[in-house]
Amino acid sequence: MNLDLTWRLLKGGGRRGMLGTWLTLGAVAVSTALLLFAVTANFAFEARGERGAWRNPVAAAQGQQAVAMAGSRLDYVRDREIVIVDLAALGPSTSVPSVPPVPSLPPGLPRFPAPGEAFFSPALAELAEELPAGQLAARFPAMTGVLGDEALVHPEELVAVVGHRPDAPVMTAPRGADAAPVRVSGLAGEPSMDSQGYRVLALIGSILMVVPLLVFGGAAARLTVARRDQRLAALRLIGATPGQVVGMTVAEAVIVAFAGVLAGTVAYALALPLLTRIRMGGGPWFAADLWPDLPVLGATIVAVPLLVGLSAVAGLRRVVVSPLGVAKRETPPAMRFLRVLVLLAVLAVFPLLSRESGIAIVAVAIGLAFLSVNLVGPWVVGIIGRITARGARGPARLLAGRRLVDDPRSAWRTVSGVAMTGFVAGFLALLSPGAFAGDAVPGQLRVVVAEGSPSAVADRARDLLGKAGVRATVKHSEDVVAVTVADRDDPAALDRGRTVLTGLVPGRTLTTGADDDRMGTQLLADVGVGTVVVLSVSFLVAIASAGITAASSILDRRQTYGLLRLAGTPLTVLDRARRTETLVPLTVMGGGSIVVGAFCATPFLFGAPNANGLVMLLVCVALGFGGVLGAGALSRPLLRSVTTDPAPRPD
Amino acid sequence: MNDVLAGLALTKRFGQTVALGGVDITVRAAEAVAIMGPSGSGKSTLLHCLAGIMKPDGGEVHLLGQRIDAMGERERSALRRTRFGFVFQFGQLLPELPAEENVALPLMLGGVARAQAVRQAREWFGPLGLHGMETRRPGELSGGQAQRVAIARALVTKPAVVFADEPTGALDQTTGHDTMRLLVEATRHNGASLIVVTHDPNVAGWCDRTVEVRDGRLLAGGVPA
Ligand SMILES: Nc1ncnc2c1ncn2[C@@H]1O[C@H](COP(=O)(O)OP(=O)(O)OP(=O)(O)O)[C@@H](O)[C@H]1O
Ligand SMILES: [Mg+2]
Repeated sequence: MNLDLTWRLLKGGGRRGMLGTWLTLGAVAVSTALLLFAVTANFAFEARGERGAWRNPVAAAQGQQAVAMAGSRLDYVRDREIVIVDLAALGPSTSVPSVPPVPSLPPGLPRFPAPGEAFFSPALAELAEELPAGQLAARFPAMTGVLGDEALVHPEELVAVVGHRPDAPVMTAPRGADAAPVRVSGLAGEPSMDSQGYRVLALIGSILMVVPLLVFGGAAARLTVARRDQRLAALRLIGATPGQVVGMTVAEAVIVAFAGVLAGTVAYALALPLLTRIRMGGGPWFAADLWPDLPVLGATIVAVPLLVGLSAVAGLRRVVVSPLGVAKRETPPAMRFLRVLVLLAVLAVFPLLSRESGIAIVAVAIGLAFLSVNLVGPWVVGIIGRITARGARGPARLLAGRRLVDDPRSAWRTVSGVAMTGFVAGFLALLSPGAFAGDAVPGQLRVVVAEGSPSAVADRARDLLGKAGVRATVKHSEDVVAVTVADRDDPAALDRGRTVLTGLVPGRTLTTGADDDRMGTQLLADVGVGTVVVLSVSFLVAIASAGITAASSILDRRQTYGLLRLAGTPLTVLDRARRTETLVPLTVMGGGSIVVGAFCATPFLFGAPNANGLVMLLVCVALGFGGVLGAGALSRPLLRSVTTDPAPRPD
Repeated sequence: MNDVLAGLALTKRFGQTVALGGVDITVRAAEAVAIMGPSGSGKSTLLHCLAGIMKPDGGEVHLLGQRIDAMGERERSALRRTRFGFVFQFGQLLPELPAEENVALPLMLGGVARAQAVRQAREWFGPLGLHGMETRRPGELSGGQAQRVAIARALVTKPAVVFADEPTGALDQTTGHDTMRLLVEATRHNGASLIVVTHDPNVAGWCDRTVEVRDGRLLAGGVPA
């Protein structure tokens, strides 16, 4: 029954009504696309971790039948990492594995490699082809086959799976603490500690992105209501029941939101090829990782319109409670100072935190600080409004100030996104890492000699290098052999050295200082990329939400604006008032959030804050101001159009 | 002569609809003119053309001997701000501004300092029976009180002409009559002319003259007797 009327209301809203509908649709589409991104990022990291699990073997438990030995180590070529997985099947009799037992294979590995066989990832196969054999291919047995994507963490990963006899030195020789091959009952393995760490970071990033998204979704839903509440109030006056009014609004909001969700999903699909190029953990992504699973997609398609509907109902409460609710405007009750006390209380906790605090405590504290900023926002905006109004000389500032006092929540909504981003930026700016301070000697490869005499190993190294014609000096200390290639700055010389010396110490690879710092540098680089991604998303949301709220505030007030304009108020005054209304709280709140964010980051600060962070912060500030002003300017034609109507009346 | 505002042979069409089909009208200083006629006859359109809100398709509008219909939007806008006052049916007060600031706004737009503008605005509250309402916001005023604030706002710049389009249309009859009488008296007292669109014959009775509009033409009363 309602649906027909709803459809007519939707269509009959006129050009301006349609504009609002389009804005809502666009907002929902943007939110959906970003939400899909924020959510699937978690699943993507999880999928990476699981695909990489088989190289992180777990020793067979007591009583389990061990079927193979497995261990992995890292080697390097040019500036890239190679994961080498050493596998050896354990036959019924350990000496002669004549009948290869068949441990369940990890997906992507065509078959269990026999001794002397090697499977390469496609990227490694390509690189081995491209470089002279003496720099890479000679480190491994000839390639037997290629690994499938299911065995790879990312498409550009360099992986070699090499088969050995179980008694081969490479399987039995002592390695570093947790790298030694272990007897396993299967090749499933478990996700590595690193991959778990990345998942935690991804989760934090998602939270930082989703909070502003929710605020944005609310603003978008309210936009539908803003347009409708007058008309619905009229419907109430002619006797529509609250149920009918709610029903129609929800139906309308849900229809629009559903269309928005579909558009957003399509937009996400179109953006996918670009998103897969974001490099994390050393490489780009498989498209399948970043595409949501059916349950996730289904849940999004159902949940988003539902949330929009709920938000619309919340916005409509006023109309439903009283038919006159919309027309009547009274002085809002003053907001409590209590809100500030909450923020101060939360902030007081931070000096007590340190880098040693548990991750859960830290996450909760950051979340609370984030929410408290949101809580304090409207209150501060109200104060700012009072100060602006009191000090105003011209009409524009007076209008702006009074409006801030009248509806601090809506003004806060306009700037909250950017202010929240300010919090994130302030937090990350202080933590943003500078260059990793390694003490690497360029061109020097080192290897630990745990068994046997280092001097004998050094002699063998000299011999091998000499035969291959690689010029290098070899030194040794108590348990380390260090090889420095003559041509320190030539990566090819270094890789020749690595290749010639492969197997010098069984089970170990020779590494440079930079190789050893690799984990750290990679993590720092990834945190940097993650920061940029999170900030970009929150800026996109913040600016879109500033634009949406600017447009909806014009639509809300179109009658008053129109009449003011008829009475000769210049458009520039109205526009300046609108700008002041955003700029003043933006400056105060944006600045405030940056300071609060930076304050929250101090317990985790190591070393002095660096220039990188400051540059990032300045870029953020510039983007924030430019974006919000630009978004406001975009709604200027809307202001012009609502004020040129010679007979403005509520529609 | 002391003609303040004159419309000559005004025409206006909206597509096929002829809203004004050649209207001549003259208004003298401090004169109150009621415009009456059935719905859709063109009353609002006439008012908008005279007030420089809308450009007529043909004809001329003169304010104190100066032609205003040919001016650009910016100039007409400035003219509306300084020489005209407006009272609409409702919705013209800014809800977030206290009553006195709503009244002071046109002065501030004209460059009067804020304190001075508010002081001047306050002087209107007593005479219009709005004592004590200065700092209330529109949402806290009754419909009649809000319209009286709007009257103060229309008069505060000492305009030459006040335009009112069904200013009491949203009020009950008694309140409407009180408000309308205040409007007519206050404009006359300030030496301003008044052009008011109304459906109420009683209201027309308080005015100096009534103009009847039918299908975009004047039946009678276009020119003072
Ligand atoms: N913007 C517009 N577009 C199209 N037609 C219009 C427009 N404005 C007015 N009209 C038409 O012009 C004619 C005169 O309209 P106007 O608003 O002047 O009537 P009115 O006498 O003020 O009526 P009411 O007493 O109902 O307010 C009407 O037929 C109306 O439909
Ligand atoms: Mg009319």
